[in-house]
Amino acid sequence: MAETHDETPVFSEEDDHRAVYIFNPRAGHHTSLAQEKTARPVKKRRVSSKRAWSASAADHAGAVPHAEEETKTTTTAAAAFSQLFGGKESVEAAGLRRQVFDTAWPVLDGRIKNVLREANRTTLEDVSSFIRDAEGDATRGTRIPAGFIITGPNIASQDVLFEQLSEALGKATQARFVRLRAAGAPNLKAALKKVIRDATAQVSLDGGDRDEDTEVALGRDGRKYLDYDLEGLQAFFGAQQDSSRRVVVAFEDSEAFESSLLTDLLGLFHSWQGRIQFSVLFGIATSVELFQARLLKSTARQLFGAKFDVVQADLVLDNVFKSAIAGTQATLRLGPTLLRSLLDRQRDQVAGIRVFISSIKYAYMCHFYANPLSVLLADEKSLTRQLLQPEHIQAVRTLDSFKAHVEAAVDARQLKHAQLLVEDDGYLVRQMVEQRQKKQDYLMQLLRSLHLLTSMDLVPGRFTDLYVAALAGGLDLTPTIDGIKRLGADDVPALINRLLTAIRTGSPDLDLPGWEDEAEELISSLCEIRDEIEALAEQAQEKGQQALKSKFTAQSKVLRTTVIAQKVQLSQDTAKLTDEDKAFGKAIDALVDLLTHHIYSDPVDSLFLHEAWAYDTEAPYRDVFVPRPGTTFERALTRPHAYLGCECCSKANGTLSATLPTTCILYRLYLETGSLVNVADLWSAYYALVGEDSVDGGLGEREALVQFYHGLAELRLMGFVKSSKKKADHVAKVKWLL
Amino acid sequence: MGDSLFQLPDELLFTTLSQTFPCRDAQIRAVATLLHPHAAPCRNLVIHGTEATGKSAITAALLQALQDDTEKDEPLLRYVIVNSIECITARHLYESAIAKVAEALQWQGGATRCDSVSQMLVELSKMLKYPSYPDNFRFVLVFDGIDRQREAPITLLPALARLSEIIPRMTSVFIITSPPAGFLRTSFVPYIEFPNYTKNEFVTILNTTSLPTAPLPTTTIQETTELWNRFTGAVHDALARSASRTLPALQHACTSLWPRFTAPILAGTHAPREFSKLMVAARVHFQDESLLDPGIVAVRSYSSSTTTTTQAQAKDNTAAQLSAPPSQANTPRKAHSTTTTPSKPKATANPLVSATTTDLSTLLPPTARLLLLASYLASHNPTRHDLVLFSTFHHGRRRRRGGLSVGMGRGGHRGAQSKHRKIARKLLGAHAFVLERMLAIFMAVRGEWDPKWLDQDSSSREMDADIEMAIATLASLRLLVKVGGAGAGGMAGDQMDRGGKWRCNVGWEVIRGLGRSMGVEVEEWLVE
Repeated sequence: MAETHDETPVFSEEDDHRAVYIFNPRAGHHTSLAQEKTARPVKKRRVSSKRAWSASAADHAGAVPHAEEETKTTTTAAAAFSQLFGGKESVEAAGLRRQVFDTAWPVLDGRIKNVLREANRTTLEDVSSFIRDAEGDATRGTRIPAGFIITGPNIASQDVLFEQLSEALGKATQARFVRLRAAGAPNLKAALKKVIRDATAQVSLDGGDRDEDTEVALGRDGRKYLDYDLEGLQAFFGAQQDSSRRVVVAFEDSEAFESSLLTDLLGLFHSWQGRIQFSVLFGIATSVELFQARLLKSTARQLFGAKFDVVQADLVLDNVFKSAIAGTQATLRLGPTLLRSLLDRQRDQVAGIRVFISSIKYAYMCHFYANPLSVLLADEKSLTRQLLQPEHIQAVRTLDSFKAHVEAAVDARQLKHAQLLVEDDGYLVRQMVEQRQKKQDYLMQLLRSLHLLTSMDLVPGRFTDLYVAALAGGLDLTPTIDGIKRLGADDVPALINRLLTAIRTGSPDLDLPGWEDEAEELISSLCEIRDEIEALAEQAQEKGQQALKSKFTAQSKVLRTTVIAQKVQLSQDTAKLTDEDKAFGKAIDALVDLLTHHIYSDPVDSLFLHEAWAYDTEAPYRDVFVPRPGTTFERALTRPHAYLGCECCSKANGTLSATLPTTCILYRLYLETGSLVNVADLWSAYYALVGEDSVDGGLGEREALVQFYHGLAELRLMGFVKSSKKKADHVAKVKWLL
Repeated sequence: MGDSLFQLPDELLFTTLSQTFPCRDAQIRAVATLLHPHAAPCRNLVIHGTEATGKSAITAALLQALQDDTEKDEPLLRYVIVNSIECITARHLYESAIAKVAEALQWQGGATRCDSVSQMLVELSKMLKYPSYPDNFRFVLVFDGIDRQREAPITLLPALARLSEIIPRMTSVFIITSPPAGFLRTSFVPYIEFPNYTKNEFVTILNTTSLPTAPLPTTTIQETTELWNRFTGAVHDALARSASRTLPALQHACTSLWPRFTAPILAGTHAPREFSKLMVAARVHFQDESLLDPGIVAVRSYSSSTTTTTQAQAKDNTAAQLSAPPSQANTPRKAHSTTTTPSKPKATANPLVSATTTDLSTLLPPTARLLLLASYLASHNPTRHDLVLFSTFHHGRRRRRGGLSVGMGRGGHRGAQSKHRKIARKLLGAHAFVLERMLAIFMAVRGEWDPKWLDQDSSSREMDADIEMAIATLASLRLLVKVGGAGAGGMAGDQMDRGGKWRCNVGWEVIRGLGRSMGVEVEEWLVE
C-alpha cells in the first residue's frame, strides 16, 4: 500500500504530507519540558486567532534575508502554505502559490454556483406559480397544496434548490418557508417546534432541541402557547397583521421521514387549513408512486399534488464541467486520469454534484499546496526572476516533460537548444516564460477544436467524454469524418453554417469568445465550399437530377441480378456519377481536409512543463473522497510497524510475534477462527505466545490478562467481534470482508 | 321560561339544519333534545359513527344554532369544541380546552399551565361552578375525535366523563368513531349513532349538494337532473357498495365520471334519455381504479413537459380540463426560457427525461442498483443455500437454480417440509439479513453482473466508502430498512455496524425491472 502513496506528493518531505503519520511519543523527551509546554498553546492560538498567527509568521519572515516589505496578506498566506523543497522554498514563493490559489478558486466557485442556480430556474418558477395558483383553485377544496419535486437520489445536493425555493416563494407568495429534514425532526413535537420557530423566525436561545414543553408568548394578548401549538402560530400571524397566513413546509428528504410522522403532520396541517394556509413541498428521490404507497389513503386524500422535475444531474454535471473544468476560466487543468475517475464515480456511485465540486476544489488545493512549480501559474507581474530559486530550476529539470522535451530537441538535431536547456539557467527561465504563451495557445486550440466538433452535431457521446479523450490521447477529425462524408447536399451547407456560427459566437458555457478575426482564412474557405456546393446543387436540379450524390454516399457498386433461363446471374455494376456528383465529392474532400487542418489537438502530457499547470494524480483524491476504512484497519493490524515505526515488529513481517501489540496478535488469531470465537481458547492461544513459558515472551499472567482484555475490547470497538447469545463464553465474528 | 318543564327548540331550527344536512333528521333531533337546556340535558353524550357521516359538522352547527336560539334575554348555552387531532399531547388538550372555555365565557386570567385532569377540573370549576349563572344554564364541552388523542393517559376518557359529576351545569360530548363497551366507566350515558347513508340517502344528498349547475347542451335542466339522478344511483351501485363507502369518495367519483359519462351526449351519439346505452358506452370508465384511489398528484401539467403522457390524460379527463389554464400560462414562459438559455438541448431533452424518471432503475446509479439486488437475494434466499449459489470453490462457474429443487425433494424430511410450504418464497415477505452476508453476496455477484468491475485492478476492487455511501443512501430512501434492536430508533445503533440486521423493502416487480436494466435475470438466482 505504501508504495502507491509514495508517488503522489512530488516534493513533500514534511511530516504532515507523508502517507502514514508516525506517532512517536518518546521523541518529546528530547525537547525540554518548558518547550513542550509552550508548544501546545502556540498551536492552539494558530487555529483560533488569526492575528497571533500572522504575527508569528511575520517574525518568521523577518529571519529570511530576502524578506521584502510585502503586504500583510502575503505573509499570512505564505505562512498558511508550508515551504516546500524541504523548507528551502522562499516565503514569497509559498505566498505566491497561496495567492494564485486564492484568486483562482473563487472565480470558478462563482461560476459553478451560477450554473447550479441557473439549472433550477424553471423548476422554481413552476413551483412558485403552482403554490400561488393553488390558492384560488376551486377543485382543490380543503386539500393541502403539495408539490412533489423529483430530485433524484442525491437529496444532499438539492440544498441549493431548497435555498432558492425559500427565497423565491418568500418573494412570490409572501409565504413563510420552513425546511424540514428527517434528522432534524424525529417526532411530531420536534417537527412542529421547528415549523413554528422557523415560521415566526424566533431564535430560541437554549437550542430548543430538548424534549421539555416550553412556552412561548406569541400573540398580542400575552397568552402563552406551548411551543408545538399551531394556535400560537395563528396568534402570531394575527399579531403581525399578516392576512395571507401562508406557510410553506418543505420536506427535503421525504423518504427518510417516518410514514406515521408524515401522516400526523399532514393531518394536523389539514385540520388547520382554514386558519393557516399550509402548503407542503416534498423532495422525492425515487418516485411519487413509491411515496404514495407509503402514505395512508386517508392522508393521500388530503393532498392536492403536482409533480415537478428538477433538471437531471447529468445536464448539471455537463454544465459544471464546461464552466469549471474545460472553460477558459479554469487556471488549473485537471488531467484525463483524474477526470475519468471523477466522471466514472459520478455515473456509477451515489455521488452528487457537490462531491464533484469538492473534488475539483481539492485538486486545486493539492496542486497549489504541494507542487512548488505551481508558482509558475502566477501572472507575470508577481512572478519575478528573483522568485525563482535554484531549486525551482532544478525541479523543472527533473520533470518528465523536460526530459522528453530535451530528447525531442536532440532527435531534431537542435543540440544547442538542448544543451542550453540543461546547462543555462537563464535560457531555461526564458523558455519557461515562453511556455506560458504556448500553453495558452494549446488550450485555445483545444477548446476551439472541441467547440467546432460538438457544434457539428455529428459526434455521438457527451462533451465531457470528448474533452477527456482529447486530453488523454489528442484530438482530430477521425470520429466525424465518416459522418461528414455521408452527408447529403442539403446537409453540408447547414453544417458549414453551424460551424460559422460557432466560430462567430464562441461558447458562453466554456467562456470561449468568438474568434472570427483570427480565423479569416478558415471562414473564407468554408464559405467558398458552401457556395460551391450550393451552386452544384442548383446545377443538378436544373439538369433534373433529384439529389447530389457523392462517391461516399452513393452505392458505388450495385449488385445486379438477372435471371436468364432460370439461372440467376450476378453482376457488379458501377453506378454512374455525374460531373456534379464528382465535383460534390471533391468539395467534401476539400472540406474534410480543411477541417482536419483546423481541428486537432495534442495530448496534454506532450507539452513541456505541463506538470506546472495540469494536475493528474488520482491517489490523493481517492484517499480523501473514497476512503477504505476496512483496508486501513487491516493494514494497521497486520503491519503495525508501518505506523509505529518500531524496530521490534518490523522483523515479524507477516508472522506472529510476541512483540506485536496485543490487538494485532488477537487480530491474527481472529483471522483463523470460525464464526463463533471461544474466548477461553483465544486467551490460551494468546498466553501461549506472550506468557512466561513462551520463547520471547515473559509477561505475567495478570499483566497478560489485562492486555488481553484491552485488546479484545479494542477489537470490539473496531467492529470485529460482538458478544453473542448463541453460546456461553463465545463472541461472534462480525467482519468477514474488509 | 318556567312555563313548562320540557320544551323542544323551535321547529324552524330543525328545518334550516336539515336543509344543510339532509337525511340526518333523526340524529339532529336526538342531539338537540339531549343538549337543549329546556329539553333533556344530559351529563355525558357519546356521538359515534364512521368517517364522513356528519358527526362533527352537525354537532358544531347545531350547537351554534341552539346558542343563537336561546340567546333571548340572557345566555343559556355556551359551548366549546376541542379537536383532538390538533392537540399534540394530553397537556395540550387540557390547556387548549381551558383556554377555549375562558374565551367562550370571556373569563379573565385563566391559568397557563395545566398538566392533569384534576388541574383542569379545578380551572373549569373556577369558571363554571362557583360563579353565578342563570337557571338552566348549560355549558357544552365537545371533545372531537377524542379516541385519536395522542399521548393520552388511559384514564383520560373516564376522567373527562366525570367532569360533569362535579360541575353539574356542564355537558361533555364525545365524538368518536366506534365506542368500546363501557369505555367511559360510568352509567347512564346516551349514545347516538350516525350511521352511514343508504343508497337513497346518497342519491338525495348528491342531488341537493353536487348537482351539475349548468345543463348539458342540447338538453333541458329537467333532463340533466333526471340523468344525474340515475347516474348517481348507478355509480353508487358500481362503486360505493363494494369499495368507496364514504360520501366524499362517492362525490369525487361522480364528479370525475360525469364528464366522461356525458361525453356521448355532447358528441351527439346518444340522447340523454338513453340511459342504458350511455351506461354501456361508459362501462370502461367505471372500471377505472383512479376513481376509488385518486392519488396524490392532482395537477399533472406542472411538470416541465406540458404534454404529459397520454395515459394520464386518458385516465382523468378532469385533469385534462384543469390543465388548460396552467399550460397556457406555461407556454410563454417556456418560450422565454428557450430563447434566453443558451443550451438549447436542455429544453428538448427534458420531456424524454421526465418520462423515464419514475423508473427506479434510471434513478439509481449502478452500484446502488447492484446492492439493492444483492439485498433482495439476501432477503429472499435462505442462508443455507448461499454456499451453493455463490461459492466458486468447487465449480468454476456458479451453479444456479435447477439442481436445487431436485435436491430438496429427495430427502424425506426436506420433502415433507417443501410439501408443507407451498407459497413461493418471493411472495412471502422479505426476511431480515445480516449486513455482512449481503455484502458477501454483493462481492460474489458483482464480478458476474458488472463486467467492467473485473477489468479494474485488484486494489480498487475492495470495499470502499462509495459502497457504504450507497448503502446509506438506500437506507435513507427506505429501500433498505434496518430492522430490530438499536437501529430502529435511528440514533442509537450505528448504521454501518456489520452485525446489524436489514431487510430489503422493495417488491418483486421493481426488482425484476431493476435486474433487467442491468442485464440480470434475478429469477435465476432465487431458490424457490
